[in-house]
Amino acid sequence: MSKKLSGRIRRLNIITHRDAGYFFSSLIIIYSLSGIALNHVDEWNPDFIIEKKEIQVPSGYLTNQLTPELITEFSKRAGEEKFKVYDIPSENRVKIYYDNASLFIDLQTGEGLYEKIKRRPVFYQSNVLHRNSLKGWKWVSDIFGGFLIIISITGLFVLKGKNGITGRGKWFIVAGFLLPIIALILHELS
Amino acid sequence: MKSIASILIISAGLMAQLACSSSSGETAQTSRPANSKKIGVLLVNHGSRSATWRQALLALEENVKDSLVGYGKIHGTKTAFMEYNEPSIATRLKEFDAEGYTDVIIVPIFLTVSSHSFDDIPTIIGKKEDPQSLETLKIEKIERYTPQAATQIAPLLDFSGMLKENILRRALQLSKEPQKEGLVMIAYGDATYMKEWSALLHDVGAYVKQHSAIDAYSFGWCGHVAHYNPDSTTVAIKRVFTQKEKALVVPVLVAHDEMFQVKIIGDGIAKTGKRQQDVAYVADSILPDKNIERWVIRIAREHADKLVNNSQAQLP
Repeated sequence: MSKKLSGRIRRLNIITHRDAGYFFSSLIIIYSLSGIALNHVDEWNPDFIIEKKEIQVPSGYLTNQLTPELITEFSKRAGEEKFKVYDIPSENRVKIYYDNASLFIDLQTGEGLYEKIKRRPVFYQSNVLHRNSLKGWKWVSDIFGGFLIIISITGLFVLKGKNGITGRGKWFIVAGFLLPIIALILHELS
Repeated sequence: MKSIASILIISAGLMAQLACSSSSGETAQTSRPANSKKIGVLLVNHGSRSATWRQALLALEENVKDSLVGYGKIHGTKTAFMEYNEPSIATRLKEFDAEGYTDVIIVPIFLTVSSHSFDDIPTIIGKKEDPQSLETLKIEKIERYTPQAATQIAPLLDFSGMLKENILRRALQLSKEPQKEGLVMIAYGDATYMKEWSALLHDVGAYVKQHSAIDAYSFGWCGHVAHYNPDSTTVAIKRVFTQKEKALVVPVLVAHDEMFQVKIIGDGIAKTGKRQQDVAYVADSILPDKNIERWVIRIAREHADKLVNNSQAQLP
């Protein structure tokens, strides 16, 4: 390969890496944030902040004794002036609906659980994109995935010399590759 | 360099297009003859990524279709999947509207009360606006559609009592020495309605005790409430082993889904170690069950009768 051609390929590689990196930097951060959030989906709700409040209402009512006036009375104890609708999921239980909130009451014990739902800022929006909840976003996501591969590969050849792929770079690549390999071996052995 | 710039510009253009696209708001307008009812039945199930699971639900509709349409008061049946798959509930309701149906009887093929049956389905069809459901449906790309046809939601499967017979039958099929065996029921579960789910399984367990020599039972969860983890299955089996030599594991799941019956419950059994030889298990499901087909037919006909009778009572 002539020195001139080699120089042009190298220049193209650096430009690709640099410009694609600039362009996709925001998506990389968004997907990384969302990835961390969704990894812990069993420990927290990555999309919503659900404020819970326990309240007590007079006990012993039957579902057939429920009236709009009584429901309004229950609602006031949760700090809600007006309810939208109420419904009975099972014997002795009633659920009251409000804007962005609901109140679940066990009529036998009078114990109520009020829940107000709010979107978790930044994470909700990141997760919408990461989970492809937006119509057609999967195509952007596919292009992004393709470019991440390009950014990674071009990144390998940005530097030359002792800090490049032929120098210390190769050891880092091997170390990084070992991580998933060890994990998969452990998975197979378990 | 130009090519990279072009790709980046195309990507940006694609995103701009996405931003400008509006959600499809299909509204089918059909004329309806005055004082005449055109009643449809929509069997709604949870939906699954498993083709086997979906096929069992489609077969259910196939098996009840003739009896429902042949009844004379019901003009058509359809099946809808709440999550994961098309046809969705919205798709089916749009079809009913386009075909000029005046009433749709929704028969939820769900075991007992859950957020899906109590909040999600009514929210999808525009009968409720549960805040959590609204947000979840949006995230999961589940379309809401309020049909022009009037909708009625039939009761859930547990109201019929047939679940008890189903589990008893399947437990007896596994049983060889009932005195030495205990029943382990593994169900999906629901965090909000744990009390109801537990009561249902206690009821079923008590029924099996009463009608067979299998006099011990326990239950565990395999759904979201158990984080789709096999541990709850293992714990339930071990609980039975404290009283009995053998465990009969019966999935209390509507249809067969490889993730649940094979992966989660199967792994749960494997985690009992050497005791797995004392576990009798068939990766079956509640469906197919002729009793459930009969129940769907009966409940849909009852609703259709009421609709027609009410309609006739309103005639001048």
